[in-house]
Amino acid sequence: MKKITENTRAEVKDIIFDFLADACEIEKSELNEDMKIIEELGGDSLMFLSMLEIFKKKYNLNVELKAIGKYILKHPAETIGEIIDATLVIIEYENRIVDM
Amino acid sequence: MITALGLNYQTCWENLKNGQSGVKKITLFDPEDNETRIAAQLPDGFEEYARGYYTRRLKQQMTRVTRMAYVCAINAVNNSRIDFNMFDPLRVGVILGIVDTGYNSLEQEESEDNRILKSMNNAPCALLSIKYKIEGPCFPVSTACSSSGYAIGLGYDLIDNNRCDAVIVGGADSTLSPEQVRGFNELYALSVNNPEPEKASCPFSRERDGFVIGEGAGMLILESEESALKRNAEIYGEIAGYAMTTEAYNLLSPKKDGEGMVRTMELAVKNAGMTVNDIDYINAHGTSTFLNDLCETMAIKALFKERAYSIPVTSSKSMIGHTIGAAGAIESIITALSIKEGILTPTINLEFNDPELDLDYVPCKARKQVINTGLSNSFAFGGHNVSIVIKKAFRNL
Repeated sequence: MKKITENTRAEVKDIIFDFLADACEIEKSELNEDMKIIEELGGDSLMFLSMLEIFKKKYNLNVELKAIGKYILKHPAETIGEIIDATLVIIEYENRIVDM
Repeated sequence: MITALGLNYQTCWENLKNGQSGVKKITLFDPEDNETRIAAQLPDGFEEYARGYYTRRLKQQMTRVTRMAYVCAINAVNNSRIDFNMFDPLRVGVILGIVDTGYNSLEQEESEDNRILKSMNNAPCALLSIKYKIEGPCFPVSTACSSSGYAIGLGYDLIDNNRCDAVIVGGADSTLSPEQVRGFNELYALSVNNPEPEKASCPFSRERDGFVIGEGAGMLILESEESALKRNAEIYGEIAGYAMTTEAYNLLSPKKDGEGMVRTMELAVKNAGMTVNDIDYINAHGTSTFLNDLCETMAIKALFKERAYSIPVTSSKSMIGHTIGAAGAIESIITALSIKEGILTPTINLEFNDPELDLDYVPCKARKQVINTGLSNSFAFGGHNVSIVIKKAFRNL
């Protein structure tokens, strides 16, 4: 189990903001955690998977897509803030998120 | 509409009236190894023009065909000033003629990412439903050269049967890749008049030697009369009826003497509650192939008898090439604009008459003429035929 610190949250947030700013062609400074990725930013569901690949490499995560799928079904994430929180849970618990 | 003659309908329409040819040497790829090296390719600025319509990420999930469909549909929605938020989303639909999305070797050379999203035939419809939150019937139709004609017919039915209040209908196509050109050449379907591109598409001419591939998209907003009146919409024309039939005969050739074409036009006129005497203009399929133009002429003569000689028959493909899956929609738009403005666009390059083809094809120059009702024909490989009857909008009478 990886330890999540304030620094980890800041790092994850920064990566997600960078990704969304680039993919949605919006200034990073215009983003905030309450924004809905699909409805407000014109994003798509594949974005989460693309971001996940970044975090799997960065944190050397051992997590299967189906485990994430089960977790997201129980804990839907629509806003940027919710995606950040879901990512932190995945980093912390990896495949064990399925039990949460 | 988007064609080789322009990136919006106003430019296309002006150039069509001026009898301009959009055919030139292919520049999308090096065509030197192909027997046919000409096409009615979209103007060079298309990709730059389209860039403002989607994010870079969405573009990476689209093929050129999907981009054409998307841009053209947004333009149609904007031109119509329709606000889908004012509609019950379950009673709005999208039906597009998409033969395929054109995920060809050129697309694959550019990127193999998003392979599935790019090749999904339903992607253009789905992307529009997402953009406009449309939740009613939403699907592509694939019947080769008549695809978007079928889409218009099906959209008309959805409104006529009170299942929908508004439907985006149309189609988009680009069959410009080395392998697709080669494939059509194998069928002896394309013109090989490479030295004179602008003269290559010459429907009904003695010189015709095959069709010229055209890229394009055409989109229409169909809605009920009640809906159009309620929102004070600009009405371009009224679809009075249509018919779709299948020849059950041959994958490539039309039935002998154009029998299947006769039946399709006859049923369309009947479906519109009219007689053949009510039709005063025909926007022909007119591909510039030996067989189509002969059979279509024979079919018009068989159905309209002596009147056939006094009904103007034009082929838009003489200027914009054969846009395959988009042809039915583009030519229906041209038919509606011809009726609305009382101007027949010409069949250009008709300089040498074929003695067997002796109708009034409006050769070379546009003509002012009052028209109340037109017939737009699309006859596809596979024998999928459709004829659409379009009449002057009730408000413009």
